[in-house]
Amino acid sequence: MNAKIVFTGLGAVCGAGKTVDEIFDAIVNGRSAVAPIKQFDASRWPVRVAAECNVENKILVADRKLHKSISRTDMFGIYAADSAIRQSGLPAHRETLDAAATIHFNDRSGIFAGSGGGNYYCNYDFLPAIAAAGGDLKIFGGQFTESVNPMWLLRHLPNNVLCHVGIRQNFKGANACITNHCTGGALAVAEAAAAIRAGEADRAVAVGHDTPFEPETLFHYQRLGLLSPEIVRPFDRDRSGTVFGEGAASVMLETAADAQARHAASLGEFLGSGCATEATGVFGIRPDGDGLSQAIQNALADAGISPGAVGMIVAHGNGTHASDASEARAIRRVFGEKIPPITGFKWAYGHLIAASGILDLVLALTALRKKIVPGIHTLNFPDPEFAPFPVSKTAQPPRSDIALVLCRGFGGMNVALLARANP
Amino acid sequence: MTPRRRIAITGIGMVTPVGNDARSTWANLQAGRSGLATIRNFDASGFPVRIGAEVKSFDAAAVINNPKLLKLATRPHQFALAAAEEALTDAGIRPAISDGHRWGFTVGAGMMGVNYRELETVQKFCAPDGEFQPDGLLAEDFPADPLAFSRSQTNAGLALLTRHFGIRGYATAVHTACASGGQALGTALKVLRRGHADFMLAGGFDSMLNPIGIAAFCLLGALSTDNDAPERASRPFDATRNGFVMGEGAGFLVLENWDSARKRGAKIYAELAGDGNSLSCYRITDSPPDGDGPIQAIQQAIADAGISADEIDYVNAHGTSTQMNDKSECAALRAVLKSRVGDVLVSSTKSCMGHLIAAAGAVEAAVCALAIRDGIAPVNANYSLPDPDCNVNLVRGKSKPVRIRAAISNSLGFGGSNSCLVFRNPEEVE
Repeated sequence: MNAKIVFTGLGAVCGAGKTVDEIFDAIVNGRSAVAPIKQFDASRWPVRVAAECNVENKILVADRKLHKSISRTDMFGIYAADSAIRQSGLPAHRETLDAAATIHFNDRSGIFAGSGGGNYYCNYDFLPAIAAAGGDLKIFGGQFTESVNPMWLLRHLPNNVLCHVGIRQNFKGANACITNHCTGGALAVAEAAAAIRAGEADRAVAVGHDTPFEPETLFHYQRLGLLSPEIVRPFDRDRSGTVFGEGAASVMLETAADAQARHAASLGEFLGSGCATEATGVFGIRPDGDGLSQAIQNALADAGISPGAVGMIVAHGNGTHASDASEARAIRRVFGEKIPPITGFKWAYGHLIAASGILDLVLALTALRKKIVPGIHTLNFPDPEFAPFPVSKTAQPPRSDIALVLCRGFGGMNVALLARANP
Repeated sequence: MTPRRRIAITGIGMVTPVGNDARSTWANLQAGRSGLATIRNFDASGFPVRIGAEVKSFDAAAVINNPKLLKLATRPHQFALAAAEEALTDAGIRPAISDGHRWGFTVGAGMMGVNYRELETVQKFCAPDGEFQPDGLLAEDFPADPLAFSRSQTNAGLALLTRHFGIRGYATAVHTACASGGQALGTALKVLRRGHADFMLAGGFDSMLNPIGIAAFCLLGALSTDNDAPERASRPFDATRNGFVMGEGAGFLVLENWDSARKRGAKIYAELAGDGNSLSCYRITDSPPDGDGPIQAIQQAIADAGISADEIDYVNAHGTSTQMNDKSECAALRAVLKSRVGDVLVSSTKSCMGHLIAAAGAVEAAVCALAIRDGIAPVNANYSLPDPDCNVNLVRGKSKPVRIRAAISNSLGFGGSNSCLVFRNPEEVE
């Protein structure tokens, strides 16, 4: 019998808001954060929209000294993790412990991060030196130290959130930084829960963060036909692609026994996870949704529940033709004719890539705690190819208190998470 | 409670600066032959650091007969494909259509997706005077390259390898700087233990031996500047050590359930017995001088393996050859090994093959498995002047025959991620 694992803190920041409640409010009120891009002049670009997160740096991370040594994506990650940890009440609890118990507490507290990593902007710090070198590598080699910050590498480490959340919170236990395109954040939750189950940690914070819409990324995604010029319409007949978002989300996980002992509120329970790749290369995707149905089956087996127990599905629903169609087929393959209400949230806050799955989980728990399956506000004509398929423009009642959250990414990656919400 | 699954290492593959396969790598590490030399991957003659540990005469096409696939692969992806192919061949088992979903894949992947030439193109179109202007990308003659975009994705290596080998189960890429390879193997161990896969292909690949990678570490002052004596530039634990030497390569292991490995008559190099990881929570740049952080990772790994520290006969150290790392690691070893610190053999094979960054932990895990099989602790090369802060029992002069009951491999990453793996001799297990 596995130890029961509960969520005691949730944190999120994205274009739709800087708290979980703000974001949820935007969703239930049909407000989308998708708007013209302001971070750079995109007025001549074929795609000019994204769900930008315009929260000021000083609100994300109060310590201004830190701003110089981390990237924008790290700011979001640190903020979300801090929020989840604060809500859990664990730092206050730690204050009550004696010195030896505090050391034990810290060594048994883990961090699992899903990081976008490896973006383009970071390399642009070298452009002045490359320009000055005029194509001569020998000149570049002799000059780059004059224009590039000595701490350049440390500012751009993919594992920065792991390190800085560790330093800020003194969580020194089991950890991982997962760089697996869109599924990083969702896998961070899966690995955090697995570490607690296996007794490697007593508690762990999982966080996913990303800032995907740099000009070069936008440029390539658009050319691959993955981006909509205006809006995300998951499972709609007229869907035209996805729209980027940015931000972070985080969950604090611990054993139910620990949470109970310190009288912490349990917001929900982690039930299981599944992961499968379709082995289709970087961009390939199987039309039959084989990897996704495999991931869902694995998650159901991991949780020890049947498909009928699932009360709502938060689909990946990125609004691209191929992904939504194969996702609908995978869901049908597992649930047959008894599919629970389905929704998706990317219409409201865009596609956060590495942070997408974990942000969807945070909102799924929030929605189920309020006993509603929010509608997909941008849905006008549900694609008849999937019918009958329980997506709706308006809110639906959930079938139970269990949510299935789906997350897909490049590399044919598929992750499924199962969680129960507590009222 | 069902007993925990025991995990066997049944296949090994390596592409390293001292050999393009496991056999030659291991032979050269035992002989203490250096893979360090003047950089030839690119013109480094103007750089403050002009030495590295490069993979030499590597021809991916000789191992992977798939030109289309190789076009999608960066240089480190090609190392990974070759090392993984070798590991699967060595294990004598590989994914089939019928069981591909029971195979998993974990990898420590390097952080660099964009190469210098691609960056030069962006500079030409978007930053003629050095400042980036996005609209340059929209120029009609901008040579947009979807293959380069594909190669630059953080999980591109995962995508290429799972596709090529038909792995359809759990798959992930991790990046915790220099601890990545160790963490990838630790993750694989846990996935197998919890029954989410029956076989794992696990390892790491990296190459930062390019203008930006070398520049990045030059800026931090982390590299040895012994440009005139590359072979001696990496001297872990020596009092005169002055930085690490950048390496490149890949290492992969095939991991599977011990009982089923025995059943199918597989040779077992060693048990992957335990994994521990911790965060130092100290500073992003520095290692804690008292070993706090690495200590917990090593202790956890030993506890996880269900053995006592008394059974450890060999430590493959992280041993980068920087002043701070080596001192911190020795403090940790003294704290964990206590009175046995004078008995347990320690070496850093980075002395011969440099620092493989995200691949280091995976390659060094393979070295530990081979050390156990052959009963040989590989030499800590280039050691001559003792450092009182690094007072551990180093394998000096030449490799040493010794029966190894259990070995540990440390990987300590920038940002304070620490990974430790424990390997046990099959004779101790059964």
